[in-house]
Amino acid sequence: MFLAAFTSSGPREVSPDATLLSSLLQKDVSAFEQLYDRHSRLVYGLVLRILQQASTSEEVVQDVFLQLWRNAAQYDASRGPFVPWLCTMARNRALDHLRLKSERQRRREDIPDELPSAVVAPEYEKALDEKRRAERVRALMASLTPQQKKAIELAYFEGLSHSEIAATLKEPLGTVKSWIRNGLLRLKEGLQATT
Amino acid sequence: MKNCDQFRELIEAHALGALDLEERAVLEAHLATGCPDCAKAVEEARWLVSQLAYAAPEAAPSDMLKGRLMQTVRAEAQEQAKPHVMPAKSAIPFWLWAGIAALLVFSIYSAWNTQRLENEIRQANERATVLQAEGQKIQEQLADAKRAATIMMDPTSHKIALWGEHAHPETLEAKWHSQLGVCIMGDKVPMPGANHVLQLWFIPKKEGGKPMPSAMVRPDANGKLMLYVSAPPESMDDTKAIAITEEPAGGSGWPTTPILWSGNVS
Repeated sequence: MFLAAFTSSGPREVSPDATLLSSLLQKDVSAFEQLYDRHSRLVYGLVLRILQQASTSEEVVQDVFLQLWRNAAQYDASRGPFVPWLCTMARNRALDHLRLKSERQRRREDIPDELPSAVVAPEYEKALDEKRRAERVRALMASLTPQQKKAIELAYFEGLSHSEIAATLKEPLGTVKSWIRNGLLRLKEGLQATT
Repeated sequence: MKNCDQFRELIEAHALGALDLEERAVLEAHLATGCPDCAKAVEEARWLVSQLAYAAPEAAPSDMLKGRLMQTVRAEAQEQAKPHVMPAKSAIPFWLWAGIAALLVFSIYSAWNTQRLENEIRQANERATVLQAEGQKIQEQLADAKRAATIMMDPTSHKIALWGEHAHPETLEAKWHSQLGVCIMGDKVPMPGANHVLQLWFIPKKEGGKPMPSAMVRPDANGKLMLYVSAPPESMDDTKAIAITEEPAGGSGWPTTPILWSGNVS
Protein backbone atom coordinates (compact mmCIF):
# COMPACT_ATOMS: atom_id res chain seq x y z
CA MET A 1 0.00 0.00 0.00
CA PHE A 2 2.76 2.37 0.87
CA LEU A 3 4.69 2.09 -2.35
CA ALA A 4 1.51 1.91 -4.40
CA ALA A 5 0.98 5.60 -3.94
CA PHE A 6 4.13 6.26 -5.82
CA THR A 7 4.05 3.56 -8.43
CA SER A 8 0.39 3.38 -9.49
CA SER A 9 -0.03 6.91 -10.66
CA GLY A 10 0.12 6.04 -14.34
CA PRO A 11 2.09 8.46 -16.45
CA ARG A 12 3.35 10.38 -13.47
CA GLU A 13 6.93 10.04 -12.47
CA VAL A 14 7.61 7.76 -9.61
CA SER A 15 8.52 9.93 -6.67
CA PRO A 16 11.99 9.29 -5.44
CA ASP A 17 10.58 9.82 -1.98
CA ALA A 18 8.93 6.42 -2.26
CA THR A 19 12.03 4.37 -1.70
CA LEU A 20 13.21 6.60 1.10
CA LEU A 21 9.88 6.44 2.91
CA SER A 22 9.82 2.69 2.54
CA SER A 23 13.26 2.50 4.12
CA LEU A 24 12.12 4.88 6.84
CA LEU A 25 9.65 2.27 7.98
CA GLN A 26 12.67 0.06 8.63
CA LYS A 27 14.24 2.83 10.71
CA ASP A 28 16.84 3.55 8.06
CA VAL A 29 18.75 6.58 9.34
CA SER A 30 20.28 7.24 5.96
CA ALA A 31 16.86 7.40 4.32
CA PHE A 32 15.72 9.88 6.95
CA GLU A 33 18.76 12.05 6.32
CA GLN A 34 18.09 12.09 2.62
CA LEU A 35 14.45 13.04 3.13
CA TYR A 36 15.56 15.81 5.44
CA ASP A 37 18.12 17.11 2.97
CA ARG A 38 15.54 17.00 0.22
CA HIS A 39 12.67 18.80 1.96
CA SER A 40 13.98 20.69 4.97
CA ARG A 41 14.44 23.95 3.03
CA LEU A 42 10.82 23.93 1.87
CA VAL A 43 9.52 23.02 5.31
CA TYR A 44 11.75 25.47 7.14
CA GLY A 45 10.90 28.25 4.69
CA LEU A 46 7.19 27.65 5.26
CA VAL A 47 7.51 27.56 9.04
CA LEU A 48 9.76 30.59 9.12
CA ARG A 49 7.27 32.50 6.96
CA ILE A 50 4.59 31.72 9.51
CA LEU A 51 6.53 32.24 12.74
CA GLN A 52 9.00 34.91 11.60
CA GLN A 53 11.52 33.68 14.16
CA ALA A 54 14.40 31.39 13.32
CA SER A 55 14.90 29.61 16.64
CA THR A 56 11.22 28.79 17.12
CA SER A 57 10.98 27.78 13.50
CA GLU A 58 13.84 25.34 13.87
CA GLU A 59 12.17 23.89 16.92
CA VAL A 60 8.99 23.31 14.95
CA VAL A 61 10.89 21.82 12.02
CA GLN A 62 12.63 19.47 14.43
CA ASP A 63 9.25 18.39 15.81
CA VAL A 64 7.92 17.80 12.31
CA PHE A 65 10.81 15.61 11.18
CA LEU A 66 10.94 13.69 14.43
CA GLN A 67 7.24 13.05 14.05
CA LEU A 68 7.98 11.74 10.59
CA TRP A 69 10.76 9.52 11.92
CA ARG A 70 8.73 8.11 14.78
CA ASN A 71 5.36 7.77 13.11
CA ALA A 72 6.08 7.19 9.44
CA ALA A 73 3.94 4.07 9.55
CA GLN A 74 0.90 6.15 10.37
CA TYR A 75 1.18 8.02 7.10
CA ASP A 76 -1.31 6.53 4.65
CA ALA A 77 0.82 6.98 1.59
CA SER A 78 -1.63 5.20 -0.65
CA ARG A 79 -3.94 8.20 -0.48
CA GLY A 80 -1.65 10.98 -1.52
CA PRO A 81 1.82 12.33 -2.23
CA PHE A 82 4.32 12.95 0.50
CA VAL A 83 5.35 16.60 0.20
CA PRO A 84 1.86 18.18 0.46
CA TRP A 85 1.22 16.03 3.51
CA LEU A 86 4.54 17.04 5.06
CA CYS A 87 3.83 20.72 4.39
CA THR A 88 0.33 20.40 5.85
CA MET A 89 1.79 18.92 9.02
CA ALA A 90 4.43 21.66 9.20
CA ARG A 91 1.86 24.42 8.72
CA ASN A 92 -0.43 22.98 11.38
CA ARG A 93 2.46 22.81 13.84
CA ALA A 94 3.62 26.32 13.09
CA LEU A 95 0.12 27.78 13.43
CA ASP A 96 -0.26 25.96 16.72
CA HIS A 97 2.80 27.82 17.95
CA LEU A 98 1.61 31.09 16.54
CA ARG A 99 -1.74 30.85 18.30
CA LEU A 100 -0.17 30.36 21.69
CA LYS A 101 0.34 33.67 23.42
CA SER A 102 3.85 33.34 24.65
CA GLU A 103 6.73 30.91 24.50
CA ARG A 104 6.72 30.53 28.29
CA GLN A 105 3.12 29.36 28.29
CA ARG A 106 3.82 26.68 25.76
CA ARG A 107 5.02 23.28 26.69
CA ARG A 108 6.09 20.65 24.24
CA GLU A 109 3.40 18.24 25.35
CA ASP A 110 0.78 20.82 24.48
CA ILE A 111 1.47 20.21 20.85
CA PRO A 112 -0.90 17.60 19.45
CA ASP A 113 0.78 14.54 18.00
CA GLU A 114 -1.96 13.91 15.52
CA LEU A 115 -0.80 13.63 11.97
CA PRO A 116 -2.84 15.24 9.18
CA SER A 117 -4.72 13.02 6.83
CA ALA A 118 -3.26 12.44 3.39
CA VAL A 119 -3.45 15.22 0.85
CA VAL A 120 -4.90 13.70 -2.29
CA ALA A 121 -3.59 15.02 -5.57
CA PRO A 122 -6.31 15.94 -8.08
CA GLU A 123 -6.44 14.46 -11.54
CA TYR A 124 -5.09 17.61 -13.10
CA GLU A 125 -1.96 17.43 -10.96
CA LYS A 126 1.13 17.41 -13.11
CA ALA A 127 4.40 15.99 -12.00
CA LEU A 128 6.79 18.87 -11.50
CA ASP A 129 10.04 18.96 -9.68
CA GLU A 130 10.11 21.03 -6.54
CA LYS A 131 11.89 23.92 -8.10
CA ARG A 132 9.50 24.27 -11.03
CA ARG A 133 6.52 23.81 -8.78
CA ALA A 134 7.73 26.59 -6.49
CA GLU A 135 8.32 28.89 -9.42
CA ARG A 136 4.87 28.16 -10.79
CA VAL A 137 3.08 28.76 -7.51
CA ARG A 138 4.96 31.99 -6.86
CA ALA A 139 4.22 33.18 -10.34
CA LEU A 140 0.54 32.42 -9.93
CA MET A 141 0.44 34.17 -6.57
CA ALA A 142 2.10 37.16 -8.12
CA SER A 143 -0.60 37.21 -10.77
CA LEU A 144 -3.36 37.65 -8.20
CA THR A 145 -4.64 41.08 -7.27
CA PRO A 146 -2.81 42.52 -4.25
CA GLN A 147 -5.99 42.17 -2.20
CA GLN A 148 -6.48 38.53 -3.17
CA LYS A 149 -2.87 37.72 -2.44
CA LYS A 150 -2.90 39.53 0.89
CA ALA A 151 -6.10 37.89 2.04
CA ILE A 152 -4.88 34.42 1.10
CA GLU A 153 -1.52 34.99 2.79
CA LEU A 154 -3.20 36.17 5.99
CA ALA A 155 -5.31 33.03 6.01
CA TYR A 156 -2.56 30.59 5.06
CA PHE A 157 0.51 31.98 6.81
CA GLU A 158 -1.15 33.61 9.81
CA GLY A 159 -4.12 31.32 10.28
CA LEU A 160 -6.71 34.12 10.29
CA SER A 161 -10.37 33.51 9.61
CA HIS A 162 -12.55 35.46 7.21
CA SER A 163 -13.78 37.80 9.92
CA GLU A 164 -10.29 38.29 11.37
CA ILE A 165 -8.93 39.17 7.94
CA ALA A 166 -11.82 41.57 7.36
CA ALA A 167 -11.02 43.26 10.67
CA THR A 168 -7.31 43.37 9.89
CA LEU A 169 -7.78 44.83 6.44
CA LYS A 170 -10.79 46.92 7.51
CA GLU A 171 -12.79 45.58 4.61
CA PRO A 172 -16.30 44.12 4.44
CA LEU A 173 -16.53 40.42 5.27
CA GLY A 174 -18.17 39.55 1.97
CA THR A 175 -15.44 41.28 0.05
CA VAL A 176 -12.75 39.31 1.88
CA LYS A 177 -14.57 36.05 1.19
CA SER A 178 -14.69 36.90 -2.50
CA TRP A 179 -11.01 37.80 -2.61
CA ILE A 180 -10.02 34.51 -1.05
CA ARG A 181 -12.34 32.33 -3.10
CA ASN A 182 -11.61 34.01 -6.39
CA GLY A 183 -7.90 34.03 -5.69
CA LEU A 184 -7.83 30.33 -4.89
CA LEU A 185 -9.91 29.49 -7.96
CA ARG A 186 -7.50 31.45 -10.09
CA LEU A 187 -4.61 29.63 -8.53
CA LYS A 188 -6.34 26.33 -9.24
CA GLU A 189 -6.91 27.25 -12.86
CA GLY A 190 -3.30 28.20 -13.18
CA LEU A 191 -2.09 24.91 -11.77
CA GLN A 192 -4.49 22.99 -13.98
CA ALA A 193 -3.02 24.78 -16.98
CA THR A 194 0.51 24.00 -15.97
CA THR A 195 2.14 21.51 -18.24
CA MET B 1 -25.68 18.72 -7.24
CA LYS B 2 -27.37 22.08 -7.31
CA ASN B 3 -28.19 21.68 -3.63
CA CYS B 4 -24.47 21.64 -2.88
CA ASP B 5 -23.78 25.04 -4.41
CA GLN B 6 -24.04 26.84 -1.09
CA PHE B 7 -21.47 24.46 0.36
CA ARG B 8 -19.11 24.56 -2.61
CA GLU B 9 -18.54 28.26 -1.97
CA LEU B 10 -17.20 27.39 1.44
CA ILE B 11 -14.94 24.49 0.56
CA GLU B 12 -11.74 26.37 -0.47
CA ALA B 13 -11.94 28.61 2.58
CA HIS B 14 -12.51 25.53 4.74
CA ALA B 15 -9.36 23.89 3.40
CA LEU B 16 -7.54 27.13 4.08
CA GLY B 17 -8.86 27.17 7.65
CA ALA B 18 -10.43 30.58 7.10
CA LEU B 19 -14.08 29.74 7.77
CA ASP B 20 -15.61 31.23 10.86
CA LEU B 21 -17.15 28.82 13.33
CA GLU B 22 -20.73 29.03 12.11
CA GLU B 23 -19.92 28.44 8.46
CA ARG B 24 -17.49 25.69 9.34
CA ALA B 25 -20.14 23.92 11.37
CA VAL B 26 -22.62 24.16 8.51
CA LEU B 27 -20.15 22.74 6.00
CA GLU B 28 -18.90 19.98 8.25
CA ALA B 29 -22.47 18.93 9.00
CA HIS B 30 -23.04 18.61 5.29
CA LEU B 31 -19.81 16.68 4.78
CA ALA B 32 -20.84 14.35 7.55
CA THR B 33 -23.78 13.28 5.40
CA GLY B 34 -21.26 11.66 3.07
CA CYS B 35 -21.88 13.80 -0.02
CA PRO B 36 -19.34 12.30 -2.44
CA ASP B 37 -19.05 15.35 -4.72
CA CYS B 38 -18.34 17.72 -1.86
CA ALA B 39 -15.92 15.22 -0.33
CA LYS B 40 -14.00 15.12 -3.58
CA ALA B 41 -14.05 18.92 -3.78
CA VAL B 42 -12.66 19.08 -0.24
CA GLU B 43 -9.78 16.79 -1.19
CA GLU B 44 -8.95 18.93 -4.21
CA ALA B 45 -9.12 22.08 -2.11
CA ARG B 46 -6.77 20.59 0.48
CA TRP B 47 -4.25 19.78 -2.21
CA LEU B 48 -4.64 23.27 -3.69
CA VAL B 49 -4.02 24.90 -0.32
CA SER B 50 -1.03 22.63 0.30
CA GLN B 51 0.57 24.13 -2.80
CA LEU B 52 0.66 27.51 -1.06
CA ALA B 53 3.64 26.22 0.90
CA TYR B 54 5.70 26.89 -2.23
CA ALA B 55 4.74 30.53 -2.00
CA ALA B 56 6.91 30.88 1.07
CA PRO B 57 10.48 31.95 0.44
CA GLU B 58 12.72 28.94 0.64
CA ALA B 59 15.20 29.10 3.50
CA ALA B 60 17.87 26.83 4.84
CA PRO B 61 17.77 25.75 8.47
CA SER B 62 21.02 25.76 10.41
CA ASP B 63 23.42 22.85 10.32
CA MET B 64 22.93 22.61 14.06
CA LEU B 65 19.30 21.63 13.54
CA LYS B 66 20.30 18.79 11.29
CA GLY B 67 22.98 17.77 13.78
CA ARG B 68 20.49 17.63 16.65
CA LEU B 69 17.96 15.75 14.59
CA MET B 70 20.42 13.16 13.33
CA GLN B 71 21.81 12.66 16.82
CA THR B 72 18.33 11.97 18.17
CA VAL B 73 17.40 9.74 15.26
CA ARG B 74 20.60 7.70 15.47
CA ALA B 75 20.18 7.24 19.20
CA GLU B 76 16.61 6.04 18.78
CA ALA B 77 17.59 3.74 15.93
CA GLN B 78 20.34 2.18 18.05
CA GLU B 79 17.99 1.79 20.96
CA GLN B 80 15.46 -0.01 18.81
CA ALA B 81 18.15 -2.18 17.28
CA LYS B 82 19.23 -3.49 20.69
CA PRO B 83 18.03 -7.05 21.17
CA HIS B 84 15.80 -7.19 24.22
CA VAL B 85 16.54 -10.80 25.22
CA MET B 86 17.63 -12.57 28.33
CA PRO B 87 21.37 -13.00 28.83
CA ALA B 88 22.86 -16.11 27.31
CA LYS B 89 23.21 -19.14 29.55
CA SER B 90 26.97 -18.88 29.65
CA ALA B 91 26.70 -15.25 30.73
CA ILE B 92 25.26 -16.27 34.10
CA PRO B 93 28.14 -16.73 36.54
CA PHE B 94 28.52 -19.90 38.61
CA TRP B 95 27.97 -18.12 41.88
CA LEU B 96 24.58 -16.97 40.64
CA TRP B 97 23.58 -20.56 39.79
CA ALA B 98 24.83 -21.63 43.24
CA GLY B 99 22.76 -18.91 44.84
CA ILE B 100 19.69 -19.96 42.90
CA ALA B 101 20.21 -23.60 43.89
CA ALA B 102 20.67 -22.66 47.55
CA LEU B 103 17.56 -20.55 47.42
CA LEU B 104 15.65 -23.43 45.86
CA VAL B 105 16.80 -25.90 48.53
CA PHE B 106 16.00 -23.45 51.28
CA SER B 107 12.56 -22.84 49.80
CA ILE B 108 11.81 -26.59 49.66
CA TYR B 109 13.05 -27.08 53.24
CA SER B 110 10.99 -24.13 54.44
CA ALA B 111 7.88 -25.51 52.79
CA TRP B 112 8.45 -28.98 54.30
CA ASN B 113 9.20 -27.54 57.73
CA THR B 114 6.14 -25.34 57.62
CA GLN B 115 3.95 -28.30 56.76
CA ARG B 116 5.50 -30.38 59.55
CA LEU B 117 4.91 -27.62 62.10
CA GLU B 118 1.36 -27.20 60.90
CA ASN B 119 0.75 -30.94 61.41
CA GLU B 120 2.21 -30.81 64.90
CA ILE B 121 0.13 -27.82 65.82
CA ARG B 122 -3.00 -29.52 64.49
CA GLN B 123 -2.27 -32.69 66.47
CA ALA B 124 -1.56 -30.69 69.61
CA ASN B 125 -4.83 -28.86 69.17
CA GLU B 126 -6.66 -32.16 68.78
CA ARG B 127 -5.01 -33.52 71.94
CA ALA B 128 -5.88 -30.37 73.82
CA THR B 129 -9.48 -30.67 72.71
CA VAL B 130 -9.65 -34.29 73.92
CA LEU B 131 -8.01 -33.39 77.23
CA GLN B 132 -10.34 -30.49 77.66
CA ALA B 133 -13.34 -32.75 77.05
CA GLU B 134 -11.96 -35.32 79.49
CA GLY B 135 -11.28 -32.66 82.06
CA GLN B 136 -14.79 -31.33 81.69
CA LYS B 137 -16.18 -34.85 82.06
CA ILE B 138 -14.11 -35.42 85.21
CA GLN B 139 -15.28 -32.15 86.63
CA GLU B 140 -18.87 -33.08 85.92
CA GLN B 141 -18.31 -36.50 87.57
CA LEU B 142 -16.67 -34.82 90.50
CA ALA B 143 -19.54 -32.41 90.85
CA ASP B 144 -22.00 -35.31 90.66
CA ALA B 145 -20.02 -37.20 93.32
CA LYS B 146 -20.06 -34.14 95.56
CA ARG B 147 -23.81 -33.76 95.16
CA ALA B 148 -24.25 -37.50 95.71
CA ALA B 149 -22.16 -37.33 98.87
CA THR B 150 -24.12 -34.33 100.06
CA ILE B 151 -27.38 -36.13 99.40
CA MET B 152 -26.18 -39.23 101.22
CA MET B 153 -24.95 -37.24 104.26
CA ASP B 154 -27.64 -34.60 104.48
CA PRO B 155 -30.04 -35.41 107.35
CA THR B 156 -32.91 -33.91 105.42
CA SER B 157 -32.54 -36.52 102.67
CA HIS B 158 -35.21 -39.19 102.63
CA LYS B 159 -33.85 -42.73 102.81
CA ILE B 160 -35.20 -45.38 100.48
CA ALA B 161 -34.21 -49.02 100.75
CA LEU B 162 -34.09 -50.86 97.47
CA TRP B 163 -34.64 -54.56 97.99
CA GLY B 164 -33.24 -57.01 95.55
CA GLU B 165 -35.62 -59.40 93.87
CA HIS B 166 -35.14 -62.73 92.19
CA ALA B 167 -31.42 -63.47 91.96
CA HIS B 168 -30.31 -60.09 93.34
CA PRO B 169 -30.40 -60.31 97.10
CA GLU B 170 -28.13 -57.28 97.53
CA THR B 171 -29.72 -54.22 98.98
CA LEU B 172 -29.06 -50.86 97.50
CA GLU B 173 -29.37 -47.66 99.44
CA ALA B 174 -31.08 -44.64 97.94
CA LYS B 175 -31.63 -41.17 99.30
CA TRP B 176 -33.89 -38.48 97.89
CA HIS B 177 -33.08 -34.86 98.54
CA SER B 178 -35.83 -32.45 97.71
CA GLN B 179 -33.44 -30.01 96.06
CA LEU B 180 -30.33 -31.94 95.03
CA GLY B 181 -31.92 -35.05 93.58
CA VAL B 182 -31.71 -38.79 94.11
CA CYS B 183 -28.58 -40.85 94.80
CA ILE B 184 -28.36 -44.65 94.77
CA MET B 185 -25.28 -46.57 95.98
CA GLY B 186 -24.43 -50.21 96.32
CA ASP B 187 -21.62 -52.82 96.59
CA LYS B 188 -21.11 -56.18 94.95
CA VAL B 189 -23.72 -55.42 92.39
CA PRO B 190 -23.81 -58.07 89.67
CA MET B 191 -22.67 -56.88 86.28
CA PRO B 192 -25.49 -56.65 83.69
CA GLY B 193 -25.11 -58.54 80.42
CA ALA B 194 -23.04 -57.27 77.54
CA ASN B 195 -24.52 -54.18 75.92
CA HIS B 196 -26.91 -53.80 78.80
CA VAL B 197 -27.24 -51.25 81.58
CA LEU B 198 -29.14 -50.87 84.82
CA GLN B 199 -31.91 -48.33 84.40
CA LEU B 200 -33.77 -46.47 87.16
CA TRP B 201 -37.56 -46.01 87.03
CA PHE B 202 -39.88 -43.77 89.01
CA ILE B 203 -43.23 -45.47 89.60
CA PRO B 204 -46.04 -42.91 89.99
CA LYS B 205 -48.73 -43.17 92.63
CA LYS B 206 -51.42 -42.54 90.10
CA GLU B 207 -53.30 -45.69 89.30
CA GLY B 208 -52.19 -47.06 85.95
CA GLY B 209 -49.48 -44.36 85.67
CA LYS B 210 -46.63 -45.08 83.34
CA PRO B 211 -43.20 -45.73 84.92
CA MET B 212 -40.94 -42.77 84.23
CA PRO B 213 -37.55 -43.81 82.74
CA SER B 214 -34.52 -42.22 84.36
CA ALA B 215 -30.73 -42.57 84.58
CA MET B 216 -28.66 -45.59 83.50
CA VAL B 217 -25.48 -46.99 84.97
CA ARG B 218 -23.14 -49.97 84.93
CA PRO B 219 -21.30 -50.99 88.12
CA ASP B 220 -17.52 -50.73 88.07
CA ALA B 221 -15.24 -53.78 87.92
CA ASN B 222 -15.52 -54.23 91.73
CA GLY B 223 -19.30 -54.20 91.64
CA LYS B 224 -19.60 -50.71 93.07
CA LEU B 225 -22.58 -48.75 91.86
CA MET B 226 -23.38 -45.11 92.21
CA LEU B 227 -26.29 -43.55 90.40
CA TYR B 228 -27.11 -39.90 90.68
CA VAL B 229 -30.25 -38.27 89.28
CA SER B 230 -30.22 -34.52 89.38
CA ALA B 231 -33.76 -34.11 88.12
CA PRO B 232 -36.16 -36.61 89.68
CA PRO B 233 -39.93 -35.98 89.64
CA GLU B 234 -40.75 -32.63 91.18
CA SER B 235 -42.48 -34.08 94.23
CA MET B 236 -41.85 -37.24 96.15
CA ASP B 237 -45.55 -37.26 97.02
CA ASP B 238 -46.41 -38.16 93.44
CA THR B 239 -43.97 -41.08 93.38
CA LYS B 240 -44.95 -44.41 94.76
CA ALA B 241 -41.65 -46.26 94.39
CA ILE B 242 -38.38 -46.44 92.47
CA ALA B 243 -37.15 -49.53 90.69
CA ILE B 244 -34.20 -50.76 88.66
CA THR B 245 -34.28 -53.08 85.68
CA GLU B 246 -31.71 -54.30 83.20
CA GLU B 247 -32.19 -52.72 79.80
CA PRO B 248 -30.32 -52.64 76.52
CA ALA B 249 -27.57 -50.04 76.26
CA GLY B 250 -29.11 -46.64 75.62
CA GLY B 251 -32.07 -47.40 77.84
CA SER B 252 -35.73 -48.11 77.19
CA GLY B 253 -38.92 -46.09 77.30
CA TRP B 254 -40.74 -48.88 79.08
CA PRO B 255 -39.33 -51.65 81.30
CA THR B 256 -38.55 -54.68 79.16
CA THR B 257 -37.21 -56.98 81.89
CA PRO B 258 -38.33 -57.91 85.38
CA ILE B 259 -37.53 -55.55 88.27
CA LEU B 260 -34.17 -56.26 89.92
CA TRP B 261 -34.48 -53.80 92.83
CA SER B 262 -37.35 -51.69 94.07
CA GLY B 263 -38.29 -49.66 97.10
CA ASN B 264 -41.25 -47.61 98.28
CA VAL B 265 -40.70 -43.89 98.56
CA SER B 266 -43.11 -43.40 101.39
